[in-house]
Amino acid sequence: MSEPIATEPNAPSAEGTSANAVSKLVSLFTGRSQQSALVTLASSLAAVAIALVLAGILLWATGKSPFDAYSKMLDAGLTNDKLLETTQRATPLIVAAVAVAIGFKMNLFNIGVEGQYLMGVFWAAVVGAYIHLPSVLHIGLIFLVAMAAGALWAAVPAILKVKKGVNEVIATIMLNTITLSIIDWAFQEQFRYEIPGQLDVKTKVLPTTAWLPDLVKNRLSSFIIVALVVVLAFWLIVYKSKFGFRLRASGANAVAARTAGISSNSMIVTSMVMSGAIAGLAGMTYLLSTSHAYGPTRPEGYGFNGIAVALLGRNHPAGIIVAGLLWGFLDSVAGPLQIADIPQSIVLVIKAIILLTVVIVNEVVGRRVAKRTADRTAAQLTLPVVAA
Amino acid sequence: MATDSLAVQLTGIEKRFPGVIANHDVNLNVRAGTIHAIVGENGAGKSTLMKTLYGMHQPEAGTISVFGEHKVFRSPSDAIDAGIGMVHQHFMLADNFTVLENIILGYEPIKGGRVQYDQARLKLQDIMAQSGTHVDLDAPVSDLGVGQRQRVEILKVLFRGARILILDEPTAVLVPQEVDELFSNLHRLVADGATIIFISHKLDEVLTVSDDITVIRDGTTVAEVKPDGVTRSKLAELMVGSELPSPHGRASEVGSAVRLSVTGITVAGLGEKHALEDVTFEIHEGEVLGIAGVEGNGQFELCETIIGLTKPIEGSIVMNGDNITHASPHHRLMSGLSYIPFDRHREGLLLDAPLWENTLLGRDGDPQFLKGPFINAAAAKADSREVIERFDVRTPSELVPAYALSGGNQQKLLVGRELSSHPNVLIAAHPTRGVDIGAQAAIWEKLRAARDAGLAVLLISADLEEVIGLSDRILVMFDGHINAHLTPAEATPELLGTYMTGGVQEVAS
Amino acid sequence: MRKSKRFAAIAMVAAFGLMAAACGDDDKTDTTSAPEASTGDTTGDTTGDTTAPVDLNVGLAFDTGGRGDGTFNDSAARGADQAQTELGATVTELEATNAEDRQPNLETLTDAGNGLVVSVGFAFGDGLAVVAAANPDTMYANVDGFYADATENVTFLSFAAEQGSFLVGAAAALKSESGHIGFIGGQEIDLIKAFEAGYTAGAKYINPDIVVEVKYLGAAGDNAAWGSPDKAKEIALAWYADGADVIYTAAGGSGQGTIEAAVEADAWAIGVDSDQYGTATPDQQGHILTSALKRVDVAVFETIKAFQAGTLTGGVQVFDLSTDGVGYSTSGGYLDDVVDQLEEIKAAIIAGDIVVPTMP
Repeated sequence: MSEPIATEPNAPSAEGTSANAVSKLVSLFTGRSQQSALVTLASSLAAVAIALVLAGILLWATGKSPFDAYSKMLDAGLTNDKLLETTQRATPLIVAAVAVAIGFKMNLFNIGVEGQYLMGVFWAAVVGAYIHLPSVLHIGLIFLVAMAAGALWAAVPAILKVKKGVNEVIATIMLNTITLSIIDWAFQEQFRYEIPGQLDVKTKVLPTTAWLPDLVKNRLSSFIIVALVVVLAFWLIVYKSKFGFRLRASGANAVAARTAGISSNSMIVTSMVMSGAIAGLAGMTYLLSTSHAYGPTRPEGYGFNGIAVALLGRNHPAGIIVAGLLWGFLDSVAGPLQIADIPQSIVLVIKAIILLTVVIVNEVVGRRVAKRTADRTAAQLTLPVVAA
Repeated sequence: MATDSLAVQLTGIEKRFPGVIANHDVNLNVRAGTIHAIVGENGAGKSTLMKTLYGMHQPEAGTISVFGEHKVFRSPSDAIDAGIGMVHQHFMLADNFTVLENIILGYEPIKGGRVQYDQARLKLQDIMAQSGTHVDLDAPVSDLGVGQRQRVEILKVLFRGARILILDEPTAVLVPQEVDELFSNLHRLVADGATIIFISHKLDEVLTVSDDITVIRDGTTVAEVKPDGVTRSKLAELMVGSELPSPHGRASEVGSAVRLSVTGITVAGLGEKHALEDVTFEIHEGEVLGIAGVEGNGQFELCETIIGLTKPIEGSIVMNGDNITHASPHHRLMSGLSYIPFDRHREGLLLDAPLWENTLLGRDGDPQFLKGPFINAAAAKADSREVIERFDVRTPSELVPAYALSGGNQQKLLVGRELSSHPNVLIAAHPTRGVDIGAQAAIWEKLRAARDAGLAVLLISADLEEVIGLSDRILVMFDGHINAHLTPAEATPELLGTYMTGGVQEVAS
Repeated sequence: MRKSKRFAAIAMVAAFGLMAAACGDDDKTDTTSAPEASTGDTTGDTTGDTTAPVDLNVGLAFDTGGRGDGTFNDSAARGADQAQTELGATVTELEATNAEDRQPNLETLTDAGNGLVVSVGFAFGDGLAVVAAANPDTMYANVDGFYADATENVTFLSFAAEQGSFLVGAAAALKSESGHIGFIGGQEIDLIKAFEAGYTAGAKYINPDIVVEVKYLGAAGDNAAWGSPDKAKEIALAWYADGADVIYTAAGGSGQGTIEAAVEADAWAIGVDSDQYGTATPDQQGHILTSALKRVDVAVFETIKAFQAGTLTGGVQVFDLSTDGVGYSTSGGYLDDVVDQLEEIKAAIIAGDIVVPTMP
């Protein structure tokens, strides 16, 4: 009785075979039913476009030509080297965004990715420096240590939430601060490794068996492959597996999931631990490909940028990759923009405006779509309450 | 006071939503200084009509007059200006604010940029004295119980100068004592010159409290009656438009095997009082055990305890011979327990998810929906289509998100899901609440068929016709314990009503 | 809708987080450049043969913080400005916003056709090693950095801090009435130990019996050591109470604590890197005896000049008293009575008559 009711000419259920292929492709992109897929993509693109216009107005207001700025951006950014740099910069952001997205899917806001990846980098650097193994095993072990450190660190807010009802946002923000203290302390007291004459003190440098080879020398680490594997695993686990279904159900409606026998407590702990484990991997480009040791000159901000990338990518695998590359691109053109006498802070402004417009556009579009879907569904039921 | 002048007059109101005519040819005459009840089934169009009167949307046709003056309401503030106030079913209060702050929110008396709290307080004390509605103005709203919150809502609309109060299902959330208190407040308000429009589908209340009754059915007003000129069953018939569907005949005998046995269950409550006290019953194969009771007397806790979400402090639960008192909910569901929860939005559905994920929820342990660790989406969708067809869920496809369906179709989907896992014990809490007559009949039919096939059903309902019509045995729950055992033959709504309000009698004595 | 509201809220947090991250990066000035956190208040000797050279293109890479940090980066920028006006150099500046900008920024400056790229801060080390090796035709200079096996086109600019410290040590001994002085170091690393060694040697050169207290605020890499004025103040107050009357602090921003203690104890403090008299409040100025100067501006200017002259050869370039790369300040006039004596000592060090130790 379900399909035949659709008598309206504009009914979306009148899908031919070609439309079917398209919808399959699209749902591959978003993992959701076809209605929201194209809309999500379109609204995200629209948000980025609006952000560029707003930032352009800002540029114009400060006396710079926005066309100039954007064409400089493209000129500088679309070279081979810069595209590699874009990818290199996107790698940790993509991994961090996946970590954030796992939490989001469970309706948890893991603001602690920042701390979790630092924990991962630090302990991986420490353990990795003191063991000797064949290369593949060595790198594999370092990954495991990084994931374990991130996971353990993420388990803390999860357990606090489950046992004591502590809001994970507050717990993870606080833990970020504590992370720095713990790492600084452990670094100072135990693991710093001085090289005479060098101010840049780090942990002991990893044996070369732990160095991850570059795909393109000094420009692109092979860690991007690991990052893509992480994204693929995220897609399979969260969108395709039974566990992922339960996770998403619990995130979408914890009470209903609980009523259906899915313990939200165990989902909270599992998803946070998974999130933390992935977060632990975010710093591996830095550790295994560029620095080969942990030091106070470490990169920072993967966690916060990861949140931004996850939001912009709507927590979807493909979205995250695209958003990560966009972020990487913006970062990589900041330098050349400076040389062109355009304040590099414009990049930051563009990022922030993109985020806000994404939220606003999605909210507006989301409401419209919800209303239209409801109306269309109602329209197909051919039963006005009063027929006569 | 001019009791014969009309406070509100609606003529020929029509309201359409895309594809649906929610109200048409609605005529309503509310005399000033009276309590006017509007009754009708869920989905009959009561709320739509009240939203029209309160300016939340505009009708396509028809006129609104207030105290004889023609009005066009473009927004609620227009309605408020005309002296109309709405007490919503779901309270709209800021928990962290005090009562006073909540009441004046948006209508703060301001002088020189400062909020005149003292002035507001004086005015409110005046209103409270006149209406007999008392609340501690300085208490934070978070400290208040449901009844008190409702009083805050009423004070809020009075503070805004409303002389016509619309109360949308005000008793749905109240315990019997609070209902009495509310009614006496309403009488005082009316004596004071206010006019009250009272929306309900609880016929007994309507007959008790109102001066006039307008019946709405299928989106239109079908009758206006006086409470003393109509019986309860006549009113019900007006509402439904025909005899209530309540066939008793059954095709099979109750089996002898005990499916579910609940013994001496006691569950802790919020305070010292237990939410459930020594509850014991058995349900046999092919039997429907009905539990009648005013909502909030322990039915919810009973269901939560049986499915394992609440741990009893005493007692045991045995299902199909297995003691499941300490088993996980997942284990219970996997061993043949199904649950149609109280609130389909809150406990039953993933509103943003497509229907096929909704029919999969709780059944994802079934190997037919799995391919290794992955969900077999094709199988789940096929199954969903089957549920949709068997339970006559009106939807274009299984890919539509659940929020797009009407309440009745959502409920049919939910019932379909729970019956499709082939349970041997089903807890059905208000299985037909808020669904249209057609869906109600369909759901009853499915439940009967499942019972005839051997399903043991625990039916929780506030709808006495439903309880009497479906059950093989009836228990009445009051105040956390079972205070009556009846057979459907001896159970009349009046008798059940007496037991259901048993606590009130005890307190009164 | 509830979910989308949370979503919106979190987006706000993230957006502000981005901003905060950017602002927070400013602090990292400390992490990378704190030992020399200096306002190297300039007045550089203008060694000005202002020829008009062809195509003197210089890139200047700042770490996070950049121009306007009031200390280290500003000092480097002044050196570049001087090169611009006096040598006709075209200077292109680039500032890092995060750690990952360092290497790309060096590359960008290289690709922009600069013959010399000066990077400010040792944090550039890793990136510099990669970029310098890939661009043998470009010269690189790095303030404060050092790494082993550097290519020939890399010059490390370092400072003979022990020489400046020797002079302020001598000044401390000359002005001390109690024969009891102190030294507070930031991280306990060779670089700061050189300050201690010079200071102690200078003091003992004047008064062999002088008592010199020594304390460090943290170990190597402990960046908190550069930003703990409260800790420094505590130590200084204890020493002043114990009879010390001059304390020299080589610990970046922590030195402020010593100055505050000196005001409270009515004693002398000695500043470091820049002339701290210039940035002190009026009531503090009366307690800043002198400052040991580290002239990043001089180093940058001299490096650009050497590059122009074609004499930049790579390796470690030490800036000392002879090139005015280090020195002492005389603001406030508190050293007027001993300045002749100090100038004699300075001449003796330049002449090699006095050899200042670099390790205590």
